[in-house]
Amino acid sequence: MAQTGIPKLDEYLNGGIPKGKSLIYFNHPGVEGDVFGMQTLHHNLAKGVTCVYVTSSSNPETMKDQFSEFGWDIHQFDDKLIIIDAYSPLIGDLSNENYVVSDPESIDSMTEMMNRAMKEVPKGSIIMVGSLSTIMDLCGEENTLNAVKMWNKMALVRDHAIIYNFTAWPYEENTLNSMKDNIFNCVISVGGIAERVIFGQYFGVLKADWSEIEARSMLFRVLRPGGIKIYIPKILVTGPFNAGKSSLIHSLSTRAVSVDRLGTTIALDHGHIDHQGFSADIFGTPGQERFDPIIKMISGEAMGIFLVVDSTLPKDFVRAKQMLDITKGYGLPYIIVANKQDLPGALSVDEIRRHFNIPEDVPIIPTIATSKEGIFEAFEVLVEKITGGN
Amino acid sequence: MESYSLGIEKLDENINGIRTGSNIMIIGPPMSGKETIVNNIVYNGLNEGEAAVIVTTREPGESVVDWFSYNNLEIPIEHLGIVDCVTKTLGVPTSDTATIRRASSPVDLTGIGVKISQFLEDFWMKQNIQKTRLCINSLSTILMYSNIQTVFRFLHVFTGRVKASGALGIYVVEDGMHDEQAIATLKQLFDGVIEIRQESDIHYIRTTGMSQKPSDWYEYTIEGAKIVLKG
Ligand SMILES: Nc1nc2c(ncn2[C@@H]2O[C@H](COP(=O)(O)OP(=O)(O)O)[C@@H](O)[C@H]2O)c(=O)[nH]1
Ligand SMILES: [Mg+2]
Repeated sequence: MAQTGIPKLDEYLNGGIPKGKSLIYFNHPGVEGDVFGMQTLHHNLAKGVTCVYVTSSSNPETMKDQFSEFGWDIHQFDDKLIIIDAYSPLIGDLSNENYVVSDPESIDSMTEMMNRAMKEVPKGSIIMVGSLSTIMDLCGEENTLNAVKMWNKMALVRDHAIIYNFTAWPYEENTLNSMKDNIFNCVISVGGIAERVIFGQYFGVLKADWSEIEARSMLFRVLRPGGIKIYIPKILVTGPFNAGKSSLIHSLSTRAVSVDRLGTTIALDHGHIDHQGFSADIFGTPGQERFDPIIKMISGEAMGIFLVVDSTLPKDFVRAKQMLDITKGYGLPYIIVANKQDLPGALSVDEIRRHFNIPEDVPIIPTIATSKEGIFEAFEVLVEKITGGN
Repeated sequence: MESYSLGIEKLDENINGIRTGSNIMIIGPPMSGKETIVNNIVYNGLNEGEAAVIVTTREPGESVVDWFSYNNLEIPIEHLGIVDCVTKTLGVPTSDTATIRRASSPVDLTGIGVKISQFLEDFWMKQNIQKTRLCINSLSTILMYSNIQTVFRFLHVFTGRVKASGALGIYVVEDGMHDEQAIATLKQLFDGVIEIRQESDIHYIRTTGMSQKPSDWYEYTIEGAKIVLKG
């Protein structure tokens, strides 16, 4: 089993890409889909897997340098990274690689090198086609699809996982449809949320013939350095006055600000967290009842909620539940953060659950926000609820 | 109504505002000052508070920026984005800057497309600028490495984006480098053309498709950074 190294995706694929299977990153133009292939390549090289990379639109050295903006140095893996150079001959350059496609505009010439490389590298390697769209542009749509079917068979025979990066330019309808439906074992679609401009990017599993898991579409961001992170634009932190909301946001965040938007009466907290492949913006609500209309205002479009309570103050739990209602929390994934566990008289998770009378599957996570205890666990649990899987 | 102007007075008078979302080809013989014309169009936009993205296929991004400072044309650099398709092919190690993002080669249409999109998003979402000029200088270089269908598909997507975002697209083509058929294919994607012709060392310019009738042919000269129309 090869992994994609993309957060959440391997889970959706039931662990990754089984030997002999094909996967295509089907990228909409203008969206940073090529980073998916790069992240997968780097992830596998770092694990010591032999990888073959077909470069069609840049020379091998430039291709390798491109990884550095994400903080990935793949030059150190030169002995495990085998290049098929389908670029240098195209622009009339000499190539230093062992595998050179003599005529990148001939699909037979491509296939010859693909077959040779797939035979010569150890079984169970990763074969990555850097830009299937460029090959298609040079060799024609039908020729390329016919060849891809052969390459996939060859990969199957040799137990390689074969991965394609593809930009879905407006090719023939038939071409695009058959690529989505029946040429690959797995199709990952990488798209953009566009209105006037593309302002958000997402990926989803269109097809994976070995996995039953139902995958959701995920928003993502590309960090430099860092690569692809699942992006959660809005997590809300709510709860009664003094429960520890601000402390939680500040402890979780790589950068946090308290904005005094409404004079000195209240401060709205806003933080940003990058943690374990996830990138999220967190917004705090004020706790006092007189601000309830504001809570409504800022809770729009939230994807999940932390309900923070002071574990020593069960008399505030009614208010806490009320706040959850205001944020429409029962429709959204939420967890209860049982804060101030360090104080004498703090109720246990079970006691709190009894007080709240909430379903068993709502997680309650004990924390000490001021010393960061339990807070990342709380984040991971909430993110798991938001990003699902099954 | 919102519209764009070229900043070339006599032509602008005849056009009376280029509709937002328009895509325009500039076609002319080599050495006719197309670069200066494009830079003037960019400069005019930047001066009016718009943003601009220049895709450069013939010279490094830094040279494009230098042109403005060399000619003492002050520009708000944070409103300019350059997609450099040259530097990485030279084999010199470089990294991106706030102004210049580099595609790996003119073949790398995927990378060029991503970088254009990123600039468009930045200007629209982060800087709140709703008017942007996208200049590709030149399509001819891109056509040296990719066939006409490939370039057509690429342009199909990006002329569409220009339209959707209400931008102004400017695409430079070398006259005489491509067959008639190729030019005709490309023209389907454009709303108007800035034509340049040369007759015994004298250059003429006109616009077509941007107003009821084509403009007159104007004789022009390039003086420093300026384009000067006669008549
Ligand atoms: N002992 C203890 N004090 C905490 C903890 N979390 C927050 N506090 C304190 O409780 C007070 C209120 O915290 P704050 O984050 O401002 O609460 P908010 O009103 O919900 O934003 C502050 O004095 C914090 O230092 C905790 O886990 N343990
Ligand atoms: Mg607070």
